[in-house]
Amino acid sequence: MSRLILLLSMVLCLTTGAQAQNRPAQELVTSLSSDLISIQSNFTGTEIVIFGQASNIERQPNDPSGYELAIVVEGPPQDITTRRKGRFLGVWVNREAERFQNVPSYYAVASTINISNMANRTVLDDLGIGLNHINLAVSGVSNVALSDRDDFRRAFVRLRKQMGLYSEQETSITFLTDTMFRTNIPLPANIPVGDYKVKSFLFLHGDVVAQTEQTLAVAKSGFEQVTFEMAQSYPLFYGLLAVSLAIFTGWLAGVIFRKD
Amino acid sequence: MQLYLPIAEIPVNIFVIFGMGGAVGFLSGLFGIGGGFLLTPLLIFSGIPPAVSVATVTTQVVASSSSAVVTYWRRKAIDLKLGTILLCGGVLGSLIGVILFQVLQSVGQLDVVISLSYVTFLGAIGGLMLFESIRAIRRRKSGVAPKARKPGQHNWIHGLPLKVRFRRSKLYVSVIPVVGLGAIIGFLGTILGIGGGFMMVPALIYLLRVPTNIVIGTSLFQILFTMAAATVFHSMGTKTVDIVLAMTLMIGGVIGAQFGARMGQNLRGDQLRLLLALLVLAVGLRFAVDLLLTPDDFYSIAIRKGAGA
Repeated sequence: MSRLILLLSMVLCLTTGAQAQNRPAQELVTSLSSDLISIQSNFTGTEIVIFGQASNIERQPNDPSGYELAIVVEGPPQDITTRRKGRFLGVWVNREAERFQNVPSYYAVASTINISNMANRTVLDDLGIGLNHINLAVSGVSNVALSDRDDFRRAFVRLRKQMGLYSEQETSITFLTDTMFRTNIPLPANIPVGDYKVKSFLFLHGDVVAQTEQTLAVAKSGFEQVTFEMAQSYPLFYGLLAVSLAIFTGWLAGVIFRKD
Repeated sequence: MQLYLPIAEIPVNIFVIFGMGGAVGFLSGLFGIGGGFLLTPLLIFSGIPPAVSVATVTTQVVASSSSAVVTYWRRKAIDLKLGTILLCGGVLGSLIGVILFQVLQSVGQLDVVISLSYVTFLGAIGGLMLFESIRAIRRRKSGVAPKARKPGQHNWIHGLPLKVRFRRSKLYVSVIPVVGLGAIIGFLGTILGIGGGFMMVPALIYLLRVPTNIVIGTSLFQILFTMAAATVFHSMGTKTVDIVLAMTLMIGGVIGAQFGARMGQNLRGDQLRLLLALLVLAVGLRFAVDLLLTPDDFYSIAIRKGAGA
């Protein structure tokens, strides 16, 4: 799979590279420190390191006309409802709600420079690079006034950032040599499980000249996975097990601490 | 030590959770209550998702009540027939509770309903208990003997049809209020994640006039089975029972309860009720403040579909 992607991206590099002036084709190769994050009972968050090499580039540090990189890590999609409280009969209750559909459950972007300087809006919107540019589609039915839509969008991104699930780390990609780079992406303890996408983009003068995509799996393992699977697939058995454990614990305590 | 909870999908400090279970267990042993109404808010305030907190506390209540039921069973202080009829109502109420729980969750009003119910019930019960215990303390100080229950004293409940005889409780009442009471407590217990003992005991004493020596054992018996049913219903419906969280709470809880029970024997009944009333009112007040004060953040998010929903 990764070879296929590599091959595809090389083809892509060749074609786009040929259009962008007559320089040698740029190649982008990336690699993850791990392509499986397993969540066990001692999981408190981790980070992945992304290494890469962009060959045939003559990159000058802080050169606005040079090559720039952006790496996006995206979690499996979710539907998320954002609600706003309002006073109702003197009590604060949830009033308006906006449902965001197929939004990434996790989103992190790392880049070499400020994202807004990397390319124009349309390109960034198309590729979904940067928190201001991710596609947050909303459902058709909503009781939110059009003028308030942006408030909901901003609140949504802010809350996700607070949870550590959305992040933007500009200038966090560092070049180790002229062509080799690396960056760290933090994965907090509350990340959802599923298949993640790691997309890397090489820009030249605001155009994408090469890109790669890799997958990263986040999965519960061992006891965590067994428990979760049981709760999902055999709920009746899981419930009865919980009850038996509880009765046993209570009975045992009664026996141990028996006074009469 | 951090422990990742498989259902809540967040890591928690296991000693903090264990301590919470122990502290609530201590109070439940002291006052002879399940402690659900204290534990659920504590878990919610400490960052456990409300749905997981409510469902998991039902499991914890099973553990804490089962150890007490064994004790009352030995003392023959349980009216099985009364308990079973209460239970039938309880299971019915619990089932309706799970359905409503899911509906409220999907329309985003679960949190406010939980908060409002806490304010209403804890406020009302706490107020009544406070009033009653102060009166009892005053009466004790002034040396006036409390009025004994007169035989043949009836209220409107004793006029209802479908009467059944409960031998151990020396009662002859209609099953309608018994099933109704069981259903209401089962319903509230499932929605709020509480056993409901602090509502059941006064209701059995004042409405049905069950003798006090039978009341606690019977109430615990009914709570045990209602909460066991609620655990299974939550497991199948909301799928939010976290077995790891439940075990941690249980172990802390049963240990704390033993120490609480010992300390409770050194305090007078009316003093205990006064303290419990203040505790209940404090929890109710805490919820009221949250509902009435302007929130720090007007916005909240909830995952509806996809990973982690």
